[in-house]
Amino acid sequence: MNIYVDILFWIRQKKWLLVALIYGMVMHHGVTPPADLNPAAYDALIIISMALILIITEPLPLPAIAIFMLFMQVVLGIDTANNVASSFMNDAVFFIMGSLMLAVAIVSQGLDKRLALGIIKLTGHQTWRIVAGFTAISAILASFIGEHTVAAMMMPVGLTLVRYAHKDPRKVAGLTAALLFSIAYGATIGSIGTPSGGGRNVIMLNYLTEFGAGSVSYLEWMKYVYPMVLFQIPFTVMIILWTFKPEQSNLDTAVRKLVVEVARAGKIKGREWLAIILFALVFLGWVFLSEDFGLGIIALVGVFLYLAFGLVEWNELNRKTNWGVILLFGAAISIGIQMNQTGAAEWVAGVIINNLSRVIHSPEVLTGSVSVLLTGFMSNILSSSATVAVVGPIVLDLGGDKILIGFTTAIASAFGYFTAVAAPACTIIYSSGLVRSKDFLRAGWKMGILSILSLLGLALFWWPVLR
Amino acid sequence: MKHSPKIIPDTLKFLTAVSSSEYSGPTLKMGSLIASVFDADLGVVYVGEKANEFHGSSVNLTRHNLDNWNIIHPGLETLKWALKELQTYAPENKALGGIKFNSDHVYEEDGRVRVLLPEEKGGRIELILREGELVDQLRKEIQLEGYDLAIIGGSKNKRHLAHSIIQYLPSSVLVLQKFKPRKQYKLLLLVDDSQATRKSVAWGALIAEKLDWPVRTLTVSKTRHFGPGYQGAADQAKAYFESRNIEVEQFFLTGDPVNTFAEFAGDDHMIIMGASTLNPIKQLLFGSKPIKTLARTDVPILIIR
Repeated sequence: MNIYVDILFWIRQKKWLLVALIYGMVMHHGVTPPADLNPAAYDALIIISMALILIITEPLPLPAIAIFMLFMQVVLGIDTANNVASSFMNDAVFFIMGSLMLAVAIVSQGLDKRLALGIIKLTGHQTWRIVAGFTAISAILASFIGEHTVAAMMMPVGLTLVRYAHKDPRKVAGLTAALLFSIAYGATIGSIGTPSGGGRNVIMLNYLTEFGAGSVSYLEWMKYVYPMVLFQIPFTVMIILWTFKPEQSNLDTAVRKLVVEVARAGKIKGREWLAIILFALVFLGWVFLSEDFGLGIIALVGVFLYLAFGLVEWNELNRKTNWGVILLFGAAISIGIQMNQTGAAEWVAGVIINNLSRVIHSPEVLTGSVSVLLTGFMSNILSSSATVAVVGPIVLDLGGDKILIGFTTAIASAFGYFTAVAAPACTIIYSSGLVRSKDFLRAGWKMGILSILSLLGLALFWWPVLR
Repeated sequence: MKHSPKIIPDTLKFLTAVSSSEYSGPTLKMGSLIASVFDADLGVVYVGEKANEFHGSSVNLTRHNLDNWNIIHPGLETLKWALKELQTYAPENKALGGIKFNSDHVYEEDGRVRVLLPEEKGGRIELILREGELVDQLRKEIQLEGYDLAIIGGSKNKRHLAHSIIQYLPSSVLVLQKFKPRKQYKLLLLVDDSQATRKSVAWGALIAEKLDWPVRTLTVSKTRHFGPGYQGAADQAKAYFESRNIEVEQFFLTGDPVNTFAEFAGDDHMIIMGASTLNPIKQLLFGSKPIKTLARTDVPILIIR
């Protein structure tokens, strides 16, 4: 009898794997592909839709889904094993790998205590100023070192303030949410600012080069996108304060206790200076050398330097880096490239345009709204980087200026304000157990409107000046 | 009917699932009480939501960093609270009272985090942190440690959870629906001719003795005729309780079993019944008496496997 229970339980846990497999078999064997779609492109679409089912429903660990995407390309004859292997590893994957390792190296230096002091010196003790300081600092730092690194460093500062403000954080739920969301939303709006702000930006840059749309330098990206980061900061602060209404208008005692705690770390040490200098070098490398060497290689040089100077141990990097995510992005980019090469992306883009052009007549509006709405929606159920890896090849084939569409898509992938899954910073604050899913909805819709309007303003008024 | 080691083993292990200090107080209190009734080892497990796998390493990195600021995982906070509560429930237990929670003394193994407690003092208490889907994690924990009973609180998503808990957890299950620790309950023992009834009677007797709760045995038949199996089982149960000087009343009712159980139980009984012996596939498709009873009632229910 137990064996039946075990089998039923396995089916319960893996039902979406079975759904994906049955869907794949029916589509491959039972459905005739559209006449204008070649068999390899059709199979690429089957693999990507099966992978989407698996990623969203999580019946398997991510590395297993990555492996599935890789071997299916060969099994279905889309490409040879060697070609799949070479499309799997590229500079975008190097960047994601390097940025995850750099995050471990930077966070382990204890620079968050310096950061806490710096912010408090800037903002003073008033709650609204602290929320504003958290949002602005998170946004600006995240635009350079990535939102996951910033959220990991800022969370202890935020939670320590909450803990000192009241013994039971639930009694100051508004203040707790305001401080934590200022970190998460600050880091999220900042992550679009430069290519190194998030893996998704680098994936998009990689697609632009891969699909022959040309290359975009680090500074060019900043020129196009950074104004939106700066524009959104004050409005994000207003939205957070309006939504969560902190119970205390002054955090005098909490700030004093925080300063005492942080002061125990003593003066800034040589090791910490070295960590800052090394990151500054990496940053300069991204700005001035990335066109020649690639953002990923420079990130890896940074990791090498941190290891060489003994600022971080390999064991620590190995233990705290999620190698499964790296595998998944490698596989997703690989299938994304196949979507382009087989013509699958162009076919999907054609279907979207043919159907929507009956409703939306302006090609620019159609392309822009499809890329923003599709990317924004997918980001909230998938994850921002995975969305760009999957949707990127399709939106780049929608027509119009590929580079601007690329910017639009990368920016829209940061509109994952509604759920805890989209952005790493949102997942991080959610893991504290002090904010609820509905808090993301309460503030998320306001942030969504702000971001869509900001992007519209950027596209209508700023980009024409630069083109 | 003898209280033989076959019916209730000499050494028992119970598992109590807690979610937060706000909601899990009654569950933990009853878990502690039931464990003391059976002189069982007690595991306390916190099952938290697992972070989206994409951002799992960022969450872990943050948690490592929070450790440096002495801010511990919310699950460990809950386990720390649970240990403190267990100490207040049993102040006479000097060994338990001497244990101090140390969030640095944790050990990751078998996909879970175990809080290490001093062996000589805390050997009979386990504090476990797991992340993932509740039924999956409880099942893994029960299989790993061989727990005999899982004690869980009621849930808003009752119908869906009732099915999964009863069908898939490989131990007896006590679901504390709307449980009030200070309330004087009566034990309602559902008796039929199945093997599980013998075990239910033995468990019921121990609980009734220790908590001084009166017992009512209820036998329900769909027809007016009660066969010798039903009648015999009910009489044996009554005799067993009486032999242990436990106040017992016997009821025979006719009707749909689940509706009758639910109506009879009202809001002042704790139900004890045996697990279904139906084929698991039939249980999945059509449900079973325990599954339907759990879904229909709002009182604590102990299902013996």
